[in-house]
Amino acid sequence: MHTDGIINLQNVSFYRGGRAIFEDLNCAIAAGKITAIMGPSGTGKTTLLRLISGQLQPHKGQVFLFDQDIAKIKQKQLNQLRKRMGVLFQSGALFTDLSVFENVAFPLREHMNLSADDLYNRVLTQLEAVGLRGVKDFMPSQLSGGMARRVALARAVAMGPEVILYDEPFAGQDPIAMAVLQRLIKSLNDQLQLTSVLVSHDVAEAFAIADHVILLGEGRVLAQDHPDALKTSTDPAVKQFIHGEADGVIPFHYPAPALQDELRGPS
Amino acid sequence: MNKRWLELSVGAMMVAGIAALVALALQVSGGSMRNVGHYPVSALFENAAGLGPKAKVTMAGVTIGEVVAVGIDPDTLMAEVRMQIYGQINYLSIDSSASILTAGLLGEKYVGITAGAEDDLLGAGDVIEDTQSALILEELIGQFLINLGDK
Amino acid sequence: MLRFVVDCIANLGAVLLHKLVQMGQALLMLLQATTVQPKASSLTRLIQQLYVVGVQSLIIILVSALFIGMVLGLQGFTLLSAYGSEQAVGQMVALTLVRELAPVVAALLFAGRAGSALTAEIGLMKATDQLASLEMVGIDPVHRIVAPRFWAGIISLPLLVAIFSLVGIYGGHLVAVEWLGVYSGSYWGNMQQAVDFNEDVLNGMLKALVFAFLISWIALYQGYSCLPTSQGISAATTRTVVYSSLAILGFDFILTALMFGGAV
Repeated sequence: MHTDGIINLQNVSFYRGGRAIFEDLNCAIAAGKITAIMGPSGTGKTTLLRLISGQLQPHKGQVFLFDQDIAKIKQKQLNQLRKRMGVLFQSGALFTDLSVFENVAFPLREHMNLSADDLYNRVLTQLEAVGLRGVKDFMPSQLSGGMARRVALARAVAMGPEVILYDEPFAGQDPIAMAVLQRLIKSLNDQLQLTSVLVSHDVAEAFAIADHVILLGEGRVLAQDHPDALKTSTDPAVKQFIHGEADGVIPFHYPAPALQDELRGPS
Repeated sequence: MNKRWLELSVGAMMVAGIAALVALALQVSGGSMRNVGHYPVSALFENAAGLGPKAKVTMAGVTIGEVVAVGIDPDTLMAEVRMQIYGQINYLSIDSSASILTAGLLGEKYVGITAGAEDDLLGAGDVIEDTQSALILEELIGQFLINLGDK
Repeated sequence: MLRFVVDCIANLGAVLLHKLVQMGQALLMLLQATTVQPKASSLTRLIQQLYVVGVQSLIIILVSALFIGMVLGLQGFTLLSAYGSEQAVGQMVALTLVRELAPVVAALLFAGRAGSALTAEIGLMKATDQLASLEMVGIDPVHRIVAPRFWAGIISLPLLVAIFSLVGIYGGHLVAVEWLGVYSGSYWGNMQQAVDFNEDVLNGMLKALVFAFLISWIALYQGYSCLPTSQGISAATTRTVVYSSLAILGFDFILTALMFGGAV
């Protein structure tokens, strides 16, 4: 039972520490497009990504990946599905004891039986696509944060996946690095006909490249539409996030008793 | 990390460890004599105080076996000391005698065997009958006092 | 008042349950790690871990063994002189080392050096999503990361204990024979009479094996299950050293009672 999305969440509920992160969430990710999942901090964007990749299981509801309910399939089948998916973690997550070349070659060595020359050429091509062929012999500790992320991206696409998940790719990057990543995400998606899902709270960057935006809040989908439509939305929650207002639906003050009652009087 | 150096050092560590174990076996511990087949012999004593399992059995000061167990023989109500004698020592005559002696200052008790004159030899399961019990301090003092009293 | 007591009991129950769950998880991790199909590449990883865990612990083992052996020789000589039995110092040093000090001290040093390093490394891999990356590439991190380190620990510690014994005995020789004038023949001769290979040396090796199992298991589980923050990693590393040390000393008593309890 699925709608036409390559990834589907139906009536998904997820709880942590007694609190509901998601309650009855429904959303679909369309194939071939760049979808941005956005929302204020703490709304569970990274949790959603983990639910999609199968690292977490929903407490209620189903998550469909490539039309398979990932809660019901075996570990082996999940591994097979994961080969068709690439993940870019927030910190890059390169293997610190391997060189840049070895990091990108890692999935290829594990799952494909390529000759040494084919492997070499393929790795070089991937590195070229992210503009880092020149650092192929560096160790991860010698790279800057932005470069490490690009290498991790090269590793994530090395196997030719159909879906890529990006966890906060723009977080903490300087403007140039952000522009580079933007360009890479867009060009990879178009050239390789990928489905890209990116989790971010950078409105400007994400809106520039996304075809579809899903805005999360209060444990459910607040709004989802093309970025241009969302920019002109009149929904107060959407407006507050998109235009970066300090106070609105999500209040400035964390709930607390009235100040007058808390101040200490003269003793 | 140079691969050659890695493999070399791991190999060296394994060799060193195994060599240490071998050295411990040969240089440090008793080694060979122990496990060459032995045969059981027992002896009856009036008093076997202080003798326990693993105590040495010697002849002319040389270890020829060890004590396995000390118990009571229900027929004679004497202490029965069961020993294992090393297989190579197969020339003990049937009338050999056994005494319980004290070694060193710390008082460790052991069994000393003295050769006899018969042609027949001790075999597995034989009993040594000519025995000298352990020296008991109280009995010695008692003996001394009696001798004093006699004078 | 009653409320307070009930709360205390409830808390105790919760803590115990939590510990039980953790032990169950630790056992599961152990089973997963030990039921791997070895491949050619596993050997490479094992050798790499043998280097990190074993070879890099050699220096501290050698130096400690030498000093402990020398102190044993010195103290032993002093004590035995009072009874006129200095010639027995060889067997004293050897028995003390082979039965007790080598397995226990080497294990404690190993837990502090290699155990904490293992915990910190795996904890850091967890915190930087490297373990999650492996899962995403379709590789089980327990097979790939935990298993080689476990076997490396099991193999390394007994070897290190044998080396410790030997170096310690040699250290005792240096002090007793070279310095204090004990006759070399007596040192080794008495030792050979008193030390039994099966009883003493092998039992010491058995202890080393048990300790190796405990330390590796504790260190790897703590790293694998830690909170992926810098505080979490440092807490896990501390727990590894503390739990390992307690386990070593506790099991040493049990093993000693089993192995040497009945003998004279």
